[in-house]
Amino acid sequence: MSSVERPIGSTDREVETELFKRLPDDAEAREQLVRMFLPLAEYLARRFDRRGEPLEDLVQVASVGLLNAIDRFDVERDVQFSTYAAVTIIGELKRHFRDKGWAIRVPRRLQEVGLRVNAVLPELSQELGRSPTVEEIAARCEASPEEILDAMEAVQAYSTTSLDSPVGEEGAAPIDVLGGDDPSLEILDGWASVAPAVKELPERERRVLYLRFFRGLTQSEIAKEVGVSQMHVSRILSQTLSFLRGAVLEEGDPLREAEPHGADLDET
Amino acid sequence: MASPTSEVITVSVPPEAGYVHILRAVTASVAARLPISIDGVEDLRLAVDEACAWLLARGRSESGMTLRLRPLDDRLEAEVSIDAVDGPWPPPDLQQSLPWKILSALVDTLSVDTDVGSPSIRLTKRTLEPSRTT
Repeated sequence: MSSVERPIGSTDREVETELFKRLPDDAEAREQLVRMFLPLAEYLARRFDRRGEPLEDLVQVASVGLLNAIDRFDVERDVQFSTYAAVTIIGELKRHFRDKGWAIRVPRRLQEVGLRVNAVLPELSQELGRSPTVEEIAARCEASPEEILDAMEAVQAYSTTSLDSPVGEEGAAPIDVLGGDDPSLEILDGWASVAPAVKELPERERRVLYLRFFRGLTQSEIAKEVGVSQMHVSRILSQTLSFLRGAVLEEGDPLREAEPHGADLDET
Repeated sequence: MASPTSEVITVSVPPEAGYVHILRAVTASVAARLPISIDGVEDLRLAVDEACAWLLARGRSESGMTLRLRPLDDRLEAEVSIDAVDGPWPPPDLQQSLPWKILSALVDTLSVDTDVGSPSIRLTKRTLEPSRTT
């Protein structure tokens, strides 16, 4: 039995179960399970990348999570191992960040600044007739320009939904309101030859991409049109571009660099 | 604000995706000192991200990836470079490539250094016209 290296999706569950039954005494079976699910660990480690940790360290942490999952998994339970492993690995990664004192959440002070920026941006833009500079925003928010930048960077670096509440009044999902003839799909087809993944993007992401790159709207203008905060637009763009990039680079290998838009781009 | 003359800010990081955020943050921080709108700052941040990823995807480097920023009176110049790339540089069908399309929408000028010895991407973002700032 040496031919068990298969992509996650097609993992043979019977092989898997059989291997688990040979545990805990059979070191080779354990080894084989590790090999089978290492791509999953690497994949999840990447999801936590871009927080300033070397990727190898994260993969290491994820691998520990995987080993724990293998040792604790109960075949009798009616749950797929990959599901169980993913939960365990993510838990391990989160604990790693927590132990290092790196809050996964945006620190409170930055959250406050971020919320103020969100509130202040539309009114400043209106007053000035253009998008304000960082200094102008800082003056209005009674914060330093550095704090403004930190707050904005934090929104990029940490996934949180706390700043994503719609800036508008009751926050009806604006995308639903727009509905109907969405030109973005057709026009973005021009990109599809170089970035096939464009077609996989959720509607909102596609629309933001279209507004920025084909209609040439600024992020503030897009924020207004789509009904989310400017910072949220910034994050959508950043994640969408990164997703497209990953999809272009990996050329069919879903385990390399892919940023699964299903989870990451669709937080609200 | 003091008008910047010929200051140059240079930052080098290991050529790995995990370090790109440092270059992004430095770019934003320098851009924020100029009369550049928050939209412009965000565009620059995205552009540096994209440029780095582009070079990293083709890059082969032991020593690192370098960002040079030059704040000028009317614009911010940014250059991202890496030691060498695998394969042809600039890539064939340059203007049809996705990074080019993205970058050219984000910045005011864009050029790619064709020197195989030091592949680099240069971009500039104009500041707001003096009359429009307060």
